[in-house]
Amino acid sequence: MVVGDIATGTEVLVVGAGPGGYVAAIRAAQLGLDTTLVERDAYGGACLNRGCIPSKALITGADRVHGVANAEEMGIHADPAVDMKGMQSWKDGVVDRLTGGVEKLCKANGVNLVEGTAEFDSADRVRVAHGGEGQGSESVEFEHAIVATGSRPMQIPGFEFDGEHVLSSTDALELDTVPDELVVVGAGYIGMELSTAYAKLGTDVTVVEMLDDVLPGYEDDVARVVRKRAEELGVDFHFGEGASGWEPHGEGVKVTTETEAGDESTYQGDKVLVAVGRTPVTDTLALENVGLEPDDGGFLETDEFGETAVEGIYAVGDVAGEPMLAHKASAEGEVVAEHIAGEPSAKDFQAVPAAVFTDPEIGTVGMTEAEAAEAGFDPVVGQMPMNASGRALTLGETEGFVRVVADGETGFVLGGQIVGPEASELVAELALAVELGATLEDVGRTIHTHPTLAEATMEAVKNAQGHAIHTLNR
Amino acid sequence: MVREFKLPDVGEGLTEAEIVEWLVEVGDAVTEDQPVAEVETDKAVVEVPSPVNGTVREIRAEAGEMVPVGDVIITFDVEGEEPEPEPADAAADTADDGDDPEAAVAAVAEASDDGGSGGTAQRGGRTFAAPSARRLARELGVDIGAVEGSGPGGRVTEPDVRAHAAADDTGDGEEPEPAVQSATRKVTDEPEPTTGAAGASAVEAAGRDRTLAAPATRKLAEDEGVALDDVPTDETRDGEAFVTPEQVREYAEAQRAAQAADAEAVQAESAGRAAADATGTEATAAGEVERIPYRGVRRTIGNAMERSKYTAPHVTHHEEVVVEGLVEARERLKPAAEARDSKLTYMPFVVKAVVAALKQHPVLNSQLDEEAEEILVKQYYNVGIAVATDAGLMVPVVKDADGKDMLTLADEVRDLAGKARDRSIAREEMQDGTFSITNFGAIGGDYATPIINYPETAILGLGALKQRPVVEEGEVVARHTLPLSLSIDHRVVDGADAARFVNTLAEYLENPELLLLE
Repeated sequence: MVVGDIATGTEVLVVGAGPGGYVAAIRAAQLGLDTTLVERDAYGGACLNRGCIPSKALITGADRVHGVANAEEMGIHADPAVDMKGMQSWKDGVVDRLTGGVEKLCKANGVNLVEGTAEFDSADRVRVAHGGEGQGSESVEFEHAIVATGSRPMQIPGFEFDGEHVLSSTDALELDTVPDELVVVGAGYIGMELSTAYAKLGTDVTVVEMLDDVLPGYEDDVARVVRKRAEELGVDFHFGEGASGWEPHGEGVKVTTETEAGDESTYQGDKVLVAVGRTPVTDTLALENVGLEPDDGGFLETDEFGETAVEGIYAVGDVAGEPMLAHKASAEGEVVAEHIAGEPSAKDFQAVPAAVFTDPEIGTVGMTEAEAAEAGFDPVVGQMPMNASGRALTLGETEGFVRVVADGETGFVLGGQIVGPEASELVAELALAVELGATLEDVGRTIHTHPTLAEATMEAVKNAQGHAIHTLNR
Repeated sequence: MVREFKLPDVGEGLTEAEIVEWLVEVGDAVTEDQPVAEVETDKAVVEVPSPVNGTVREIRAEAGEMVPVGDVIITFDVEGEEPEPEPADAAADTADDGDDPEAAVAAVAEASDDGGSGGTAQRGGRTFAAPSARRLARELGVDIGAVEGSGPGGRVTEPDVRAHAAADDTGDGEEPEPAVQSATRKVTDEPEPTTGAAGASAVEAAGRDRTLAAPATRKLAEDEGVALDDVPTDETRDGEAFVTPEQVREYAEAQRAAQAADAEAVQAESAGRAAADATGTEATAAGEVERIPYRGVRRTIGNAMERSKYTAPHVTHHEEVVVEGLVEARERLKPAAEARDSKLTYMPFVVKAVVAALKQHPVLNSQLDEEAEEILVKQYYNVGIAVATDAGLMVPVVKDADGKDMLTLADEVRDLAGKARDRSIAREEMQDGTFSITNFGAIGGDYATPIINYPETAILGLGALKQRPVVEEGEVVARHTLPLSLSIDHRVVDGADAARFVNTLAEYLENPELLLLE
């Protein structure tokens, strides 16, 4: 049966229903624009289906197991048994609930949902190929298109993902048994999150990293806290080694690495997880038909309104460039939708916060001290160690610190680096401060609830002002 | 300790002033409130008092220089505190207050010949403002980087953005002006370069918003007293302009040379002024040309005239009035006035007659409020009297002329004119006029086309009062006549209104005893 080319028209066409696309679509529909959202796979995108959400579910499970099994100090003696299938089905339930929610929200806001893969025919028309043989396709004419196709895990030569021996981060979230041994290639945030989680579930984890430390891009004293904790959990790090190949070894794998000098090593594991980064998805869109070419990193360049070099075609989220973070995608999605609707919105974000769900967590926003100096500020820095926080002590998690960076002259808060319990939550306050242009005085004079971890932020601010109460002022 | 003294706002709304003369020299001991300089403001010369007890450390502005309000003009070593070591050279001089960013910025702004720009909250290429304020700026089409922030640390608030947008609407970032004010108010304009611009402009400031440089380069720029954003460069990193230490040194050197040239020019200029009250001549192909700076009172007058003539469409109505009655009345009253130690001129009669005529034709005692699109008819009568002084035209104002008797008017006009001539007149005494009179006939001439003292609506010009041939009952006879020239703002009133007003005025001048009824 041939289903003909059904031509429909829409004001705003959104390609990809991840946190960039679905937010853009809902916002556009809220603003009265006739909006069509094309998704080939799953509402919620990588974030909800294969990234943020499922990984956080597993990390929470692992934390729970590890926490209760290591609480002798608190007088708790337990030996929890892990039913990995049970944990997976709970995680899947969470994901289903959220993705179902996204679909409902889209519908409730009047977004037309189309399933399929979109390819540009021209600068005002896409062809959406419905999944599966004989499902046909349809053309959608649009006035504005928003490309929100996201990213996928990056592969390295010789390590094609097979879901069996060589795992992507997506595969690693689907395991229904806890591996005894796992080789992880890459000590970036995804590698570190999954290594930590599996180590807590009892896996012997070996991490191979080409660079000389974990978490490139983070300051040494921040990364050190996380690395130290991972080592305590039994993670075995090998820095300065690149994975050069693998071969099956019994039921498992044998991974070969090479140093710059050419020295080879081999590591055994049940599986090898490759987590070396993500790469934007622009190859499915037939962008050549509208005259758009991604840059060397595969990203689409956009202006302050998210518009690409082709008028009427916008890009948000991972395809629009670093940082590849869900919340950045959502913020961009709102801006683009509002811009299309004629509102005075622009991507003028002062800072995009970031979180790493390791143990302990990392939360950062804005500038580091060095970046502030580089930008021409005269930075002042205040710090509060978690081991001086009453709440951190009662949680039994005393590693890490809150650091605040501000301009010495004006007192404007420029950024913060938090490593410690709930750092991903704590960073929200500093993000607000940076975005509002709040000063140290503003944050320091805000009463923070006692006893909470958030007090540490207030103390760090006061430390920067030279009058912290609970730490010595430097 | 060194105390810097910034040129204060010596008059309401003033943006700059000319240093007429320094009353102290470097090294002089001064006491608090001792006058240190004479500054020419709008139309008056005022003395600037020392804020401290101490000795004069440095004089930063030359006599004759126009200085923006807020610029440091003089520094003092405060008594009992150690003076700081002398800076090594002129460049270090501007950079030696590195601790005081405001002064450093001022110095750089001067060096780069930049009238000052950028909001206060702009640091590190970033404007500190909440998302709501930034959105509002986009909505109102305001460049948020140019907004002066009033929040903590100079944060730009929503009201700041609105104020900036409103100022943009009224032009040139001027403060919205109060609806009623004297035309003698200075028309705010772009701050003039403080000294000869030719030298400084030889090295153009790049004036970028953002510049990348190594921290050591930033430090160097700070030490050299130059703004990184002004240093010219072709290099970029990550798409942003990138400046090297060599470029900073080169630029700083060029700035020093330009400043030295400026300083020389200023010295030559002020020396010339002091010697001959003229500023030198230069030979051109066509012959010798004298260059006189267009400043101070001259420029204030020019700006006011320009504004009036280009804003209000002028129409001038002329009439010759036979004033035998006025001449006789004055002759009769003169001895009586002398007996009361007053000298009676024709001016108080004219003022009285004008007020009486204005009461019958109130629309001439008005002002057009362009913004509100309303005509403000004044219920009070403040009559400005144009006075020719050595410095130029000034218009002191007789306040509430309707409530004053003839001799009071005579005395007041004479007092104000005297003050204007010796330049001791206060700004307040030249403000809030509602109608003006110019007596050009005192120098000579019959008719003129006076320029309205904007934003007033009309001005009366008096020709020479003398005998002229007049036809009476078919005979040509000699009579004292007074030629009147009334200019009106045709937006507010028509020629017919002007003619009727002049007819009424003529009636009072022909028969001054009618004024007794007023």
